[in-house]
Amino acid sequence: MRVWILRLMAVSMLLLTTGVSAETTIEWWQFWTDATIKPVIEEMVEEFEAQNPDIKVKLTDLTWSNGHEKIVVALSSGSGPDVLELGSDWIAQFADNGHLADISDGISDTRNDFDGWSMSTYRGGVYGHPWILGTRVVYLNRTLLSQTPFGADHLPITMVDLLTAAMAIDSLGDDTYGWGSNAAEKHRLYKKFLPFFWSNNAQLFTDDGELCVMTSGPGIDALIFYELLHDSCGYVANQRRIEDAFLDGKIGIILSGDWLLKRIELEKHNIDFATTLFPGRNGPGKSFMGGEFLAVNEASDHKAEAVKFIKFITSPENQVKFCKANRSANPSSREAQANEYFKNSLHLQTFISQLKLAKHPPVDPNWVHVEQYIEEAVEAVLFEDITAGEALYRSRVKIDELRQQ
Amino acid sequence: MIRGRSTSVFLSLPWVITLLAFWLFPLLYSLAIGFTDLQLLRKSFEWVGFANYSELLSDPDFLSALSNTFIFVAGTIPFTTVIALFLALLVNRKFPGRGLFRAGYFMPSITSMVVIALIFTNLLQRGGYVATLASMVGLTPPEHGFLLDSSTALFSIMGMDVWMSVGYYMLIFLAGLKAIPDELYEAAEVSGAGKIRQFWSITLPLLRPTALFVLVINSIKSFQVFIEIFVMTKGKFDTSTVVYFLYEEGLSSQFRFGYASAAAYLLFVIIAGFSVLQFVLMRRKGPVW
Repeated sequence: MRVWILRLMAVSMLLLTTGVSAETTIEWWQFWTDATIKPVIEEMVEEFEAQNPDIKVKLTDLTWSNGHEKIVVALSSGSGPDVLELGSDWIAQFADNGHLADISDGISDTRNDFDGWSMSTYRGGVYGHPWILGTRVVYLNRTLLSQTPFGADHLPITMVDLLTAAMAIDSLGDDTYGWGSNAAEKHRLYKKFLPFFWSNNAQLFTDDGELCVMTSGPGIDALIFYELLHDSCGYVANQRRIEDAFLDGKIGIILSGDWLLKRIELEKHNIDFATTLFPGRNGPGKSFMGGEFLAVNEASDHKAEAVKFIKFITSPENQVKFCKANRSANPSSREAQANEYFKNSLHLQTFISQLKLAKHPPVDPNWVHVEQYIEEAVEAVLFEDITAGEALYRSRVKIDELRQQ
Repeated sequence: MIRGRSTSVFLSLPWVITLLAFWLFPLLYSLAIGFTDLQLLRKSFEWVGFANYSELLSDPDFLSALSNTFIFVAGTIPFTTVIALFLALLVNRKFPGRGLFRAGYFMPSITSMVVIALIFTNLLQRGGYVATLASMVGLTPPEHGFLLDSSTALFSIMGMDVWMSVGYYMLIFLAGLKAIPDELYEAAEVSGAGKIRQFWSITLPLLRPTALFVLVINSIKSFQVFIEIFVMTKGKFDTSTVVYFLYEEGLSSQFRFGYASAAAYLLFVIIAGFSVLQFVLMRRKGPVW
């Protein structure tokens, strides 16, 4: 009897062990935790698990305030998840140090169906799958514009249009400002300045990426223009406060992303506003482009499963589902971009049109330093009375030194 | 006896292990990596000797942060100490509603620093209460607000820090005042000494140990100022301090652990030196004020 019981236990253990080893668990670190989007994320994971009974997904939430640090520490120690969500600015830094897997082979069949690959392509390898892209467009307060000679329907097409409209709004009263000017905020100011820089046909580096050419004439002119906008009609604050002031009707024109559309809708702000493309010298200009990417940890033992999961999450249907829940305007999937949901909203269409005209910073592992030096140049001009040429030159010297190291 | 000793050792093991693993080891480890070029994300690092320390002493960002830290310490400690002592003397007297005043002054000390920093960010912004008050008394507030101007940002944060800290140090001074025997004051009165004479001859000398404690604790706290800077200015407009600098270098975007550790140990040496100086000065015989 005892022998039979032991045999039965052995067979049960064998069956259990076999069952466990057939199931793979992958871990996904992601940043979307608010109540509007987290249920959708969980739903997508459950759906993936239902379609792939041999793969389980462990979901871990990160916060925007310390998620980057957690990822850095985990990857540096050789651990971390199989799949991780990364901002486009971080990819080169992680890829350069060998922490991300090249997923070129895994995505070769669907590569042409998505936009944004250039932001995750580094030294010939592809280190992240574009998920949700992002750009910034011009928001205008139509109520304030209606009080100016331009009228409520005015949409600035050129940078000069933008300046004159902002100045006209600024002259409406002491507590009314024409333009929202960012300050004292790392990782944000350069995203506001570069559209002016690029739209004025300036470049940070030569086409081969070898030389920093930010001190060119168009670059200096762009910074002088930005200073003019700031000095003549700028409401200086961080992005959140600028958006608060815009929603309170204090600022006429700001540059912001699709998150403001979400805020206006969810917080039920009663504001008459318009969105339009970022202006250039003679027509629409180049706005800033970034995005959220899904990458595979080089240390992962389940790379194939991770890529399969990434392809599921970034599928057109799931991108539409995500964008509807998060009110995001820029799915990376071209099929998703053509969905009726985006076509039916004028504001979302502005974002989709802007994305086609947007530009992203160079995919450079030193970008976090370069962006800091760009911000230093802008701040020096806005707050320290240093000339645009001098400020850009100082930053160029620092960038050159950095790239020589 | 031996059994008793081994039981004591056994019972203290959790604390000793915690101390070694989470206090002593990280301290020694960070001291060691201060001599390396350890940078997170990079897969290898090398021993660089004192290179981090020599780089720090020629790094304009570090020197600026160090200078701001000294300004912060020198500008807050005298005010905090004097105001805290003054408040302690006031609330030590018997008057109706004394408890309310004590609680009121102490309240900022138990409020979250982040909350206070956010409230002051609002107060100090363009068109905020402080700017309005300044205009009312004929002063011209900075165009974009007190925190967006290099000439006012650090001093504004220092003012907030003094306001926030005085309640805590007031309570410590109050405890010191309570420990002074009433008989001394009675004897002084009999001898014909007035209140001012009593303050200089009895109160202040007997408060010396309390004052030393307040000065040392306050100095260490002020040298380590970080949260206010992080929340209010992100180190912009000449407000970067040493701890903010090492956060930037070590944990924000650069992840230069070796360099940041060296900066931390340099700050440790400065704080230790400053504390020793305070001990020496305060323990000298004769008045130091």
